[in-house]
Amino acid sequence: MERLLITGITGGQGRLVAKRLADQFEVIGVDRTPWEGHPHQIRVHTMDLRKKKFEDIFRRERPTAVIHMAFVRHFRADPMVRHEINVVGTKRLLECCATYGVKKLVVLSSSYVYGALPENPYYMDEDTSLNVSRHYPDIRDLAEVDTLCSTFLWKYPEIATAILRPVNTLGYYVHSAIGAYLKLPWVPTIMGFNPMLQFMHEEDVAEAVARTLETGLRGVFNVAGPGAVPLKVAIRETGGSAIPMPETVARGVIERLFKMGLYHLPSAAVDFVKYPCTIDGRRFRDATRFEPLFTLEETFGSVRH
Amino acid sequence: MAKSRRSATAAGNTRRSATGRRRAKARAAAPDPDHELDELDMTALMAPFETLGGLAGGIVESLAPQALRDLNQEIRERIAESPLALNSYGYDPWGFHADVARRALLIMTLFYRYYFRVQTYGIENLPEGRLLLISNHAGQIAIDATMIGVATVLEADPPRPVRGMGEYWLPTIPFFNVFMARAGGVVGTPKNCLDILEHGEAVIAFPEGVRGMNKSFSQRYQLQEFGYGFMRLALQTDTPIVPIAVVGSEEQAPSLGNFEPLARLLGMPAFPLVATPIPLPVRYHIYFGEPMEFRGNHNDEDEIIGKKVDQVKARINDLLQSGLRRRTSIFF
Repeated sequence: MERLLITGITGGQGRLVAKRLADQFEVIGVDRTPWEGHPHQIRVHTMDLRKKKFEDIFRRERPTAVIHMAFVRHFRADPMVRHEINVVGTKRLLECCATYGVKKLVVLSSSYVYGALPENPYYMDEDTSLNVSRHYPDIRDLAEVDTLCSTFLWKYPEIATAILRPVNTLGYYVHSAIGAYLKLPWVPTIMGFNPMLQFMHEEDVAEAVARTLETGLRGVFNVAGPGAVPLKVAIRETGGSAIPMPETVARGVIERLFKMGLYHLPSAAVDFVKYPCTIDGRRFRDATRFEPLFTLEETFGSVRH
Repeated sequence: MAKSRRSATAAGNTRRSATGRRRAKARAAAPDPDHELDELDMTALMAPFETLGGLAGGIVESLAPQALRDLNQEIRERIAESPLALNSYGYDPWGFHADVARRALLIMTLFYRYYFRVQTYGIENLPEGRLLLISNHAGQIAIDATMIGVATVLEADPPRPVRGMGEYWLPTIPFFNVFMARAGGVVGTPKNCLDILEHGEAVIAFPEGVRGMNKSFSQRYQLQEFGYGFMRLALQTDTPIVPIAVVGSEEQAPSLGNFEPLARLLGMPAFPLVATPIPLPVRYHIYFGEPMEFRGNHNDEDEIIGKKVDQVKARINDLLQSGLRRRTSIFF
């Protein structure tokens, strides 16, 4: 049985992917926080990617496949720590992959790296530049990680590296900013804006990751779900009420709350509920025959209040 | 609350259990009172722009004389007949929504029939499948685009809703951006145009852009410089081009010139000094030319592409000049 290392296994998405692949692979997990009650056939190491001992896991376990999803996507942590884990952590992981003979690598990036800009076309393909840092420098580390991995992909042609950029992910287990936002009873929106948003169920993301590994895919892939709806339809379908606010007020309030540590999203994130950041998932679909199982209705149902 | 959420996710997580899936399906299929927009229900129209359109539409629908109701019904049927791919919530990927589009069309049709009294010629020239409509552009505001849009829905057989390609700054205008998307407009990036054409839809483009739309009255019916983007897209996607000449729009809002400093201050592409407060009730004549097919490499240098663009420009100019010769009055 092939040995598979999953970084960030304790997160919601990590658990789903681990369970999905536990029968096909000998799964080894690593995460900063322990996974209480993990399935017995999975070995979980509690370890920080930045620690020197992290390399020991590669030495000892000798995984031939790696799924990398140990990213800090929230803003509760110190920005320095966030950058270190995301960028430095990824760099170290990539070095380990090259040194210890990993054959397949899947990195779970996200479609946010393209950024939400007014001139975005609906179907952004994989060749679109990663524009997120233009207005949203707070998550430039995620764009940097994506670029690091793309470089790795070209530098090591013998390793099947796949970078996945899925759309907004919703579900019971996954903690995402968009999920938390939609779970608010009163959802602040920007007055006069109602962009199209693509959604996808967490199980489908897990399936896409698994499918990538199974097919030994190599390249950069957008992963799109069942489709898109305007933001306000999503809010309604998840059981909330949209509260439109003037943009200056919304940005001002969020900025203040963020600085005081009461709200954990920088005001630049507002762009993602103002302008579209929608992608073209054709390349991935053609390469893997992946079709999302969950409809938009079911996806919204999974986070309904 | 918590219980219902758990049961919902339980259904979601048993991805290979048929009963769970069925339960999830049943839940999804349950009627949602807000989901279907019926005539008088305006709860789903939140943005003031949409509400305005919706209000007018609602009043029209409930109080209007039979003629207007018939018109509304006609537009509804025409939209339903047109080849559009909408998802289960009634939206297409670019944000088009049939109900909003219908209300916008209804108002535009009133202008089309009673204000600008549009006459179309050669609309049977529209071929099936993907299509690029290329027209002259004038009149300070893009009424020409909407009139062509109404014509292709009401007069073409089968109806062909056209997708407008907007300037990059339009999506930054609050409310308007939502209205624009719901009514079928998109940001005019080459990628959007390409994808819409690949969907088999009709795209309208004005290669003169603001150069044409905001030109002064003294330059009326003088085609301005054409952009080349449309020709590259036509070549790349093998799309026929239908040249269009709009006669009338060039006199609707005489402009004395462009107040550039103010335009720059407001971040607008131009600030025309318009002599009339509202567009004049000129009569529109829209001439649809025969489809033009072009072959060649879309990555050719500008010189080669430019020659093809000039053919389209010349064809539009012919249509314009013959239309002007046939016209007896600006207003009648």
